[in-house]
Amino acid sequence: MLPIAFSCLAEELVIAHPSVNISKEDVRDVYLGEKQFAEGIKLVPVDNASVQELFLSRVLKMSAAKYETAWIKKSFRDGLVAPSTRSGDAETIEFVRRTPGAVGYVAAAKPPAGVVVITKF
Amino acid sequence: MSEKPGASVPGRLARLIVASAATAWAAAASAATDAERIDALEKQVSQLEARSPARQDEGLPLHGFMDVNAGYRNNGGPRGFALGNLDFYLTPRIGDRIKGLIELNFEINESGGLDTDLERMQIGYVFGDAATVWAGRFHSPWGYWNTAYHHGQQIQTTVTRPKFLEFEDRGGIIPAHTVGLWGTGAIPAGAGKLTYDLFTGNSQRIDLDGGTPGSGTLNPNTASATNHRALLGFNLGYLFPGALDGLKVGVHGYTATIDDDAAPSNSTRVRFAGGYLVYLESDWEVLAEYYDFDNLDLSGDSGTHRSKAGYLQVGKTFGRWTPYARGEKASLDQTDAYFAQQENGGSYDRAVAGLRFDLDPRAALKLEANHTRFTDRVVSAYSEVRLQWAIRF
Repeated sequence: MLPIAFSCLAEELVIAHPSVNISKEDVRDVYLGEKQFAEGIKLVPVDNASVQELFLSRVLKMSAAKYETAWIKKSFRDGLVAPSTRSGDAETIEFVRRTPGAVGYVAAAKPPAGVVVITKF
Repeated sequence: MSEKPGASVPGRLARLIVASAATAWAAAASAATDAERIDALEKQVSQLEARSPARQDEGLPLHGFMDVNAGYRNNGGPRGFALGNLDFYLTPRIGDRIKGLIELNFEINESGGLDTDLERMQIGYVFGDAATVWAGRFHSPWGYWNTAYHHGQQIQTTVTRPKFLEFEDRGGIIPAHTVGLWGTGAIPAGAGKLTYDLFTGNSQRIDLDGGTPGSGTLNPNTASATNHRALLGFNLGYLFPGALDGLKVGVHGYTATIDDDAAPSNSTRVRFAGGYLVYLESDWEVLAEYYDFDNLDLSGDSGTHRSKAGYLQVGKTFGRWTPYARGEKASLDQTDAYFAQQENGGSYDRAVAGLRFDLDPRAALKLEANHTRFTDRVVSAYSEVRLQWAIRF
């Protein structure tokens, strides 16, 4: 019963390291490699395998296959490196909390400590 | 804790109470010590984390493309199976602002030998989203196709590139590579984005095969500018927002002084301007590029020469299937030494139709037919069917 109750209460959040100042309109550009810096800080987007499909469909409006292809094209043309992938919420939160410039997305019952919430999705 | 035989019950109870109290006190003291140690450890971990943020460098992935092909041409040209390209690329990063791009390509030439090309070797400094400067050898950033697909056969919908945009050693008539400097970036403009590319480098040259007129191929002049002349080029594009998301239109231009190794040498100020349109959304792919040449004969007195080339390609994806078609045409002035000295500098038109099936997001099968008609230097035509299996990794 506990996991069901938890999932009912969880919200999907885009989170960032406290050093990051971006708007919710920037999130798509950050995850497609179009926005690499915010106020001089190098952004480090990270994918979260446990909610990636939801994030891609709601925020980027694309499938995982198209997302991967978009990054292959971006990497091939511009020499960028695709976001690394974390296995779940806890690992994503920990990475974002500890990494200046990091941006991630998680499902959480309440805003995680040590990060800022950019938007809900 | 064993009891002495014969001890009274009150005595045993008193000893038990005293023993329990002592144990509880020791446990409390131990707990307090553990809590302090945990606090101290937490502080140490926090300090270490502050000094050393999470490691971002997770190695250097090797990416690449490869393809194998089969084909039939009806004029006695190539038939049967053939290896395509094996293309590796790396994207090393040195800190937040310095990056590299290395691409190495292996391909089988028409005589069956193995050709190796250091396709790209460029080092970049990222000033921000609005400006990155690259130095080295890079894909010339004119139009759209040359930088978007190049040797990436799997990410290119079709089997073939437009013929006039082929690689230099495959008959291309516009330099596909530049050795020099390239500034690129994107700037918010309205709700969309303005993209730009500005590049300069060694003017390319034309190498004739044994000095035979009309046998030349373009050479990017990777070692040096053999005629001591620089090229200049630009590409300005606009990415539309909102309902037109996926649409990009742009203009491009290029000028260089290109000599050949004939005796005496021909020297041409090559100049082209043009535009392009790209729409990649809602499962549509629309690509169009146009090049208008205004070349000047610098070594003779034949004056200026006008030529033009362009293509339009349209495709639509239905699940894993993508039918597509392309029309292309090049009208190249044969009194212009720049085209006349190139082996593939003749005018032509070509119609292409094909079908792509994505076995997997990283693997595609493509069947393509084309009819090509040469219209001036040699008037002839051929039809061709090609099958390609392309993957990325």
